[in-house]
Amino acid sequence: VDVSAVTLVLAASVSFGTPLIFAAIGELISEKAGVLNIELEGMMLAGAFCGVWAALASGSLVLGFAGAAVGGAMVALAHGVLCFVFRAEQVVSGVVLNILVLGLTTFGIGSIFGSNLGRSTPTLQPILIPYLSGIPVIGRVLFSHTITVYLAFVLVAAAWWLIYRTRLGLALQAAGEAPAAALSMGVKVRRLRWLALLTCGLLAGIGGGQLTLAGLGTFTQNVTAGRGFIALAAVIFGGWWPAGTLGAVLLFTLAEAIEVRAQALGIHLPYQFLIMAPYVVTILALALFVGRSRPPRALGIND
Amino acid sequence: VKSLAAASTLRSLAISTVAVLLALASGALLLGAAGQNPLLSYAGMASTAFGSAFAIGTTLIKTTPRLLPALGIALALRAGLWNIGAEGQIYVGAAGGVAVALYAPQLPFPLGVALALIAAMAAGGIWALLPGLLRAYRGISEVITTLMMVYIGIQLTNYLIEGPWLVPGSTWPATPVLTQAFRLPLIWPGTLVNAGVIIAALAVPVLGFIVGRTNFGLWIRAVGGNERASAVIGLPVKWLMVAALAASGAFAGLAGGIEVLGARGRLLEGFSPGYGFEAIAIALLGRLNPLGIAAASLLFGALDAGSAGLQVASAGVSSAIAPIIEALAVGYLLAGLGIAELSARRRQARSALRAGHKK
Repeated sequence: VDVSAVTLVLAASVSFGTPLIFAAIGELISEKAGVLNIELEGMMLAGAFCGVWAALASGSLVLGFAGAAVGGAMVALAHGVLCFVFRAEQVVSGVVLNILVLGLTTFGIGSIFGSNLGRSTPTLQPILIPYLSGIPVIGRVLFSHTITVYLAFVLVAAAWWLIYRTRLGLALQAAGEAPAAALSMGVKVRRLRWLALLTCGLLAGIGGGQLTLAGLGTFTQNVTAGRGFIALAAVIFGGWWPAGTLGAVLLFTLAEAIEVRAQALGIHLPYQFLIMAPYVVTILALALFVGRSRPPRALGIND
Repeated sequence: VKSLAAASTLRSLAISTVAVLLALASGALLLGAAGQNPLLSYAGMASTAFGSAFAIGTTLIKTTPRLLPALGIALALRAGLWNIGAEGQIYVGAAGGVAVALYAPQLPFPLGVALALIAAMAAGGIWALLPGLLRAYRGISEVITTLMMVYIGIQLTNYLIEGPWLVPGSTWPATPVLTQAFRLPLIWPGTLVNAGVIIAALAVPVLGFIVGRTNFGLWIRAVGGNERASAVIGLPVKWLMVAALAASGAFAGLAGGIEVLGARGRLLEGFSPGYGFEAIAIALLGRLNPLGIAAASLLFGALDAGSAGLQVASAGVSSAIAPIIEALAVGYLLAGLGIAELSARRRQARSALRAGHKK
């Protein structure tokens, strides 16, 4: 096997994975608190759209990412209002918000980017980490990426620390496992769920922004193309555990990276089977390892 | 789930109507913001959707693939189950129908198309059966599994279209055009309306009958109302869950079959732009009532057909306005139901307080 081709595939899997890491870690935090976001896809799409919008308007990538985060958080806000204020079922709200965001961003291509159509934002450039990026294979795979890729890995560690090593994380898990008991212990369940949901929106928005601002710098219709659902699957396949989620994302995007370079690698499997692989293995994992890892008990149930 | 099915028909009709009107008003604001005259836009849409026999026919064709999956989703919801995966069931249903046409091409006319439609229902049913089994026997939430099955189904269908079923030598992802033996016949001269529209219309009373007048309907409503109590009185709860989800998938599969054997005439990639997801919104707007669902489907079929008449610069804008209005309508409906629930609870609390004072 050609080492340079394998290196490129692994590096691509990391860079393809970054938008999903942001979204999946956001979803993990939210699910730990008991809030299910089927609209994770919509959050990413809103982030991708608002990121390009903000970056084009300001000429700044930092403001672009800020716009992306706000875009994702707006979707989270709508979800929270429907589920927490109006007590709608989280599944319904999620499905409807996905339809709405896809519609609005498609509508916005003409009316917002109309005059800018074809203009692209500045895009994030890779930062080679001194010395480390010179290591064969690993240097290219891990240490030759945009700043957001490194931040994504820091985020995974931070999420682990938050969930398992802080008082806030403990309260968060209580809100997702046994909201009634948590409430009687003085945990402010509603407030925590809002916090977790909005964090998810911000992170998924940044993930969407990464897709456009570290990519081509333009927004195209439905640019996320189901990545939000893959991130949702990664949280499950990762067993509701930060490192597991990271592993699941990288495994899933490895399939995507192999698909892109299948010819160079001499792989003749129809590419559709690589695209469906994340969903197949997630269902298999659910079916085979049921009980060993399970969702938070109160997931998707409004308090 | 219980609150989604309406208690009073008149009241639920009122809430849904207000929600739709608010959504249309919001859509008008959006069109205005995009530099369009909203009234002219809506007038243009109405005439494109209803202005002639041909226009009405187009609206009916756009109604069908929304109506059938929505009926199926309502059936599953009666059993307390979410079928989020109708979009995938539509695709595999279409593939099932086309498989009959491609592998048994010698079948004569009515038999060929009938078997193809049965295969479509079977394929859609099987696609929902697996999540049903996982839910019933392993306790795995059907929300996630039906959703994951969507993308497996779409990719499997894409593989068939680009691989074994591709028109030889072609690069455009579509199967050969089906022969007349496998086409739903046109039934309204001067329009493109095919017999599939009749099948969809018949499905409305059929669903009403299944849910309201059969033992199966009674049992799944019992399971949807209280799973544990249903098991205690001896209902085969697991079997009913699997059956309800599979039946739900069969409705969506039928929609896919009708779409390819009727309007499209061949299987092509991306033929459903999200009908299966829209159908979830439609089932809720119709408050799980077959007639309500039919009305909501017709409304959004008309919006879809009418959006082709929008005079806007970018093609994407016109196709986007229908789903936006649809999603907003459900959003307003959810808010309305929330407000109704809150005020009912407040009333209860107040009367309880008053009763306390009397003591």
